[in-house]
Amino acid sequence: MESNDAKTVPARFNVGDRVRVRDLPNLFYTRTQMYVRGVSGTIAARTYEDLIPEDEAWNRDEAPREQYYIVRFRQKDLWEDYPFDNDTLQTEFPDRWLEPVSG
Amino acid sequence: MQHSHEHDHGDHQHPAAPMVDEITDFEVLEIAVRELAIEKGLFTAEEHRRFTEWAEQIGPAAGSRLVAKAWTDPAFKARLLDDAVAACREIGVDWTEPTGSGTPSDYMNLRVLEDTPTLHHVVVCTLCSCYPRPLLGHSPYWYRSPNYRRRIVRWPRAVLTEFGLNLPSEVEVRVEDSNQKCRFMVLPVRPAGTENWTEEELAEIVTRDCMIGVALPGPSRKSDDIRPVHKASRPVPGDHQRAEAGK
Repeated sequence: MESNDAKTVPARFNVGDRVRVRDLPNLFYTRTQMYVRGVSGTIAARTYEDLIPEDEAWNRDEAPREQYYIVRFRQKDLWEDYPFDNDTLQTEFPDRWLEPVSG
Repeated sequence: MQHSHEHDHGDHQHPAAPMVDEITDFEVLEIAVRELAIEKGLFTAEEHRRFTEWAEQIGPAAGSRLVAKAWTDPAFKARLLDDAVAACREIGVDWTEPTGSGTPSDYMNLRVLEDTPTLHHVVVCTLCSCYPRPLLGHSPYWYRSPNYRRRIVRWPRAVLTEFGLNLPSEVEVRVEDSNQKCRFMVLPVRPAGTENWTEEELAEIVTRDCMIGVALPGPSRKSDDIRPVHKASRPVPGDHQRAEAGK
């Protein structure tokens, strides 16, 4: 966090944008849970810029920073047969794990 | 393995083994690093013991004060929701040095989740046990258990019911999976019946579980309440009876 000269990948999303969690391969380490992959949600907050876990786990401190986002999902979209319409779940991702959902 | 006592008495084929699990890799690592640090002179065994004793006493008191202040001071609540790490400094919690030992918190992105009459938050870390320790101390055992971590995201209402918390279906239950570098604490709704209470009195009803989101604070449950007495169904003669006779 102290090395301000590190590059930052331009943030692609804003609060309210619809996004889908990508299902990238797990290369040794990730913090993107399996249960959210391929599911669409809405950006609830832009949090901070930092290394991604996949680089940080290997002390790749010189790797570019990415914007992190809190994404809100409908529980009904995460789990088949979830019985309560209004319930939600939020969790956090760096930019590369998300892709835009059109429409 | 089932053994019949009648047959195994005096049989030494199965020596007694301690009823403990194997030590984990992380425990081995902790011991190795600690012993190396002591040999290198970074700290003594006595200093390590003192720090451990202190660390294990950290409680959720700071979080309780934060909630009570937010309930009584709308301007503070606005600052808390805007920048929680900065607001923590106002109650004497510095996330850059929460332990007093010069070590910063692992990450310094605290977000306070405000409950409303129609929105209830509950916090989990499905990947490990991320927890706002500068405010709530060490996480409870169940918070780190795979049972809680797996099920609260999938069946949140059923798990909350197991904690004795039944929420009506009109209330949106929002699970916050703390999987990255944000840490979360719930700001519950101030319960009715606490209208004229002081900040100090309010802090007493904000327990740890209320700030994780598996319980709601209530005016009838204070930390210094007299505990309910559950009488034994087959009391020892003279036990409860004697205590009652003495009243």
